[in-house]
Amino acid sequence: MGLITEKTPLPKLQPVKFLLNWGRRYSLWVMNFGLACCAIELIATSTSKHDFIRLGVIPVAHGPRQADLLVVAGTLTDKMAPALKRVYDQMPDPKYVISFGSCSNCGGPYWDSYSVTKGVDQIVPVDVYVPGCPPRPEALLHGILKLQEKIKGEDIQEKWASGHSAVS
Amino acid sequence: MATALSPEDVESRLRARFGDDVLAFEEQHGHAVATVSLARYHDVCRFLRDDPDLDCGYCDFTSAVDFGPERGFEVLTHLYSVAHRHNVRVKVQLPAEQPTCPTVSDLFPTSDWHERETMEMFGIRFEGHPQPVKLLLSEPFEGQPLRKDFPLMSREAKPWPGLVEGEDLEDEE
Repeated sequence: MGLITEKTPLPKLQPVKFLLNWGRRYSLWVMNFGLACCAIELIATSTSKHDFIRLGVIPVAHGPRQADLLVVAGTLTDKMAPALKRVYDQMPDPKYVISFGSCSNCGGPYWDSYSVTKGVDQIVPVDVYVPGCPPRPEALLHGILKLQEKIKGEDIQEKWASGHSAVS
Repeated sequence: MATALSPEDVESRLRARFGDDVLAFEEQHGHAVATVSLARYHDVCRFLRDDPDLDCGYCDFTSAVDFGPERGFEVLTHLYSVAHRHNVRVKVQLPAEQPTCPTVSDLFPTSDWHERETMEMFGIRFEGHPQPVKLLLSEPFEGQPLRKDFPLMSREAKPWPGLVEGEDLEDEE
């Protein structure tokens, strides 16, 4: 996918678009950016009981450079924020971000803390927000389905032209 | 076999050694809590560490409490004797303006980071500290967040929507 740039002539044929998006949405290599208790729910989602691998989410990315999806799970502090930005910048396009849990959505219970970033969308563009404190694994599965719906309807050339957009 | 000293024993030993510099003494949950004068704070910690009966070789933590503009700050150091299994807390009172306290990081290496944290959180200067720089906060951070007068910016922008803890109880009375 990394070879496709805005200058690549890609025929606007529906079968090509369908195949491309079908491939992309069922092979989401995930970068686990676990920061707090939400990370445990994320890990629980990846293991046998909930098993998000059946949805094509692959939790063994060797690092941000091999990942398509960044799941920010937990409390992001102002001191950690540059690291998140750096991880995000290292990921190859097209890339997606799921904000998992109240803390990463908006600060959550730490909304008036002096050190917590109130929403990771201040740092990186978020595609799907999963609410909860912490959300159950089912909620993450739902978030992944929402993200796959979004990828299904995407036109990769339009995405490049318009940049990222967030849905909730 | 070494035995734990009761808080009364700790008090008598400290009073015998430091007299009026022990400003107050109390027992909390079986721990000895001594409030000492600022000038002898370092000496008290050294005595607690080196005296063979007290033998408090382990510094659990150093922290502070902000009691507002009138009472100022209180720095406390919690010491523990691994051999005797007794706890001693040493407190010193500091003024609200320019609080300065001698360091005990030369006696207890553990308290080095704790004093750095107390320094950035409360703005208390530890005299003689080998590395008086921030420990936890990010570098551009300004202010002392654990001081009572530190503004919580989210609350400044939008007041807390729920009840303040304890407020409803006061109204009923």
